[in-house]
Amino acid sequence: MVRSGLTAAGLLAPASAVVAVGLVLPLVLLFRYSLNRFVPGQFMVEALTAENYVRFAADPYYLAILRTTILMAVGVTLVCLVLAFPVAMVLARARGRWKTVLLLAVVLPLFVGNAVRAAGWMVAFGQRGVVGSLMEAAQLPPVTLMYTPFAVFVGILSVNLPFVVLTLSSVLEGIDERASEAALSLGATPAAAWRLVTLPLSLPGVLAAGVLCFILTMNAYATPVLLGGPRFRMMAPTVAGEVLQQSNWPFGAAISFVLMAVTLALTAGANILVARRHRG
Amino acid sequence: MTAVRLDRLTKLYGATAAVDDVTLEAREGELLVLLGPSGCGKTTTLRLVAGFVEATSGTIRLGGRDVTREPPYRRSIGLVFQNYALFPHLTVFENVAFGLRRRRVAEAEIGARVRRALGLVRLDGFEGRLPRQLSGGQQQRVAIARAVVIEPDVLLLDEPLSNLDAKLRHDVRLELRRLQKALSITAIMVTHDQDEAMAVGDRLAVMGSGRIQQVGTPAELYRSPANRFVASFVGRANFLDASPAPGGFVLASGLALASEHASASAGTVMIRPEAVEVAAEPRPGPNQFPATVDAAAFLGASWDLELALDGGERLMATVPAARAGTEDWSSGRRVFVRVDPAAAVGIPGSERPATPAHHEETPR
Ligand SMILES: Nc1ncnc2c1ncn2[C@@H]1O[C@H](COP(=O)(O)OP(=O)(O)O)[C@@H](O)[C@H]1O
Ligand SMILES: [Mg+2]
Repeated sequence: MVRSGLTAAGLLAPASAVVAVGLVLPLVLLFRYSLNRFVPGQFMVEALTAENYVRFAADPYYLAILRTTILMAVGVTLVCLVLAFPVAMVLARARGRWKTVLLLAVVLPLFVGNAVRAAGWMVAFGQRGVVGSLMEAAQLPPVTLMYTPFAVFVGILSVNLPFVVLTLSSVLEGIDERASEAALSLGATPAAAWRLVTLPLSLPGVLAAGVLCFILTMNAYATPVLLGGPRFRMMAPTVAGEVLQQSNWPFGAAISFVLMAVTLALTAGANILVARRHRG
Repeated sequence: MTAVRLDRLTKLYGATAAVDDVTLEAREGELLVLLGPSGCGKTTTLRLVAGFVEATSGTIRLGGRDVTREPPYRRSIGLVFQNYALFPHLTVFENVAFGLRRRRVAEAEIGARVRRALGLVRLDGFEGRLPRQLSGGQQQRVAIARAVVIEPDVLLLDEPLSNLDAKLRHDVRLELRRLQKALSITAIMVTHDQDEAMAVGDRLAVMGSGRIQQVGTPAELYRSPANRFVASFVGRANFLDASPAPGGFVLASGLALASEHASASAGTVMIRPEAVEVAAEPRPGPNQFPATVDAAAFLGASWDLELALDGGERLMATVPAARAGTEDWSSGRRVFVRVDPAAAVGIPGSERPATPAHHEETPR
């Protein structure tokens, strides 16, 4: 027993070390920074103050950024789940070569980095871009897509979709197809079988995929910067702005912790909600 | 009560026929067993009847109604799966009530009918449990209750006992038969287990390579199998190459074998192991052959012997321990074999087992 305990500890040690050094340490440091004071010209002054958090909570400008970010994350997550579910069902049910092809099609976009994809959308949404030209050709009034929340929405959606599809389909694969066949044989229409059997059974997968998508959107950086333009603000770019442009590490750190706390709280809330539904 | 008629039913997957020109009837109130090795098309046949698989050609009739193109939810069929396929998120009560709710049965009646169905499978008091809180046998009984509570035209069972352990399997199959008769519901059950098939089936349809090989009562199939495949799948059998001769056959080694079932087209003689009599001394009568015991196993109620006839043919014999007395049939022993002419059955020699893999699958 002692030996196997030691072996387990030995196996866990490297990963634990990486987590400690790479994740916990920076977080602890960052939290410590967020309690420091920023004095222009002096960079960062050691202190133990909550003034950075108070400043965030009291300033409507920053609260609006937080609201935009949450709305974007909720919206993207809902639309993502709706769009991804049918694809995930097909993927989960597919067999053999057909499955490989489908899987590849879903994974392929992930080979292109986030920023590169956003650049692609810039081409599509630009004044003389693909969408604009099509609208013009169809004699529709010109609309500005570039540098709008909608462009950011579509951009993040496209980035997150593969992750959501993969997460959902791995859970859907574990659902016994016979259960929905049993429902059909008992007189349920395909729609009723889906609503009464497939959907409830896939709820844990919907939750996992939704949480993933929500977290990714809450922390989105490249897409809002590239497609949203200078006037559209979300949380992650704001953190970067404080740190990189203002050199205000304490306030940037405080915003980071607000973002993390809000993300955690909303995720936990969704978990509890689904767990209750699932039991009831 | 409704009869099920399959008429020239075929299902192709690509070029291979999973179900090949099957014509079959399950009569009103009968329990028909589809018996065959794995991969022979039993499940596909059942799924065609249930409506989950679309027929390539042929028709399916429930009663007089042609349901070949109807979706599953309009067919009125009760289905029991090998893995139970209960709804894991619903209680036992809601599992059984599922079909009644889809039929918009009044709430009060649902309660009564669910309780009656659960009583029928002896699960009173389990209404509030979730499937994962039940044993495999109990889950299977819930699945049966869920299927019969809607009073379907037909009950289809796909290897319903395979996931149960041996002792339970024996009990549940008797239960299943009692229930089917009590409800007098037409049922088709699939299995690859010949004991199970013979124990529960009114009639058996032996299937091989997508085709129905023979249909009949267990006794009919056992006594006069249509071909070697059926003979080897329903019970154990000796097969000896032979050519027809007046009053019987001539075996490959030249031995003459008298038979009451001689036929001009037979190329094989089938003899059941229990029809091979073994004695230390020759006795009067036909079909006496000297032989040597090659291997012997005492099984309590009987001896299992492997014999080599002096001509070279090999025979399996099952000798009841009571008849063998205190004889010890150790290997190397010289004996006399006798075969009742009524038990030597000629079958067409050309019809070999329909699937080459069936020997691994034949349950013992
Ligand atoms: N969906 C399918 N696609 C392709 N081939 C199939 C499919 N379902 C069954 N088959 C093939 O049809 C044959 C019969 O299968 P099945 O009906 O499951 O046999 P059984 O239930 O007797 O074991 C098998 O060879 C199997 O590989
Ligand atoms: Mg099968």
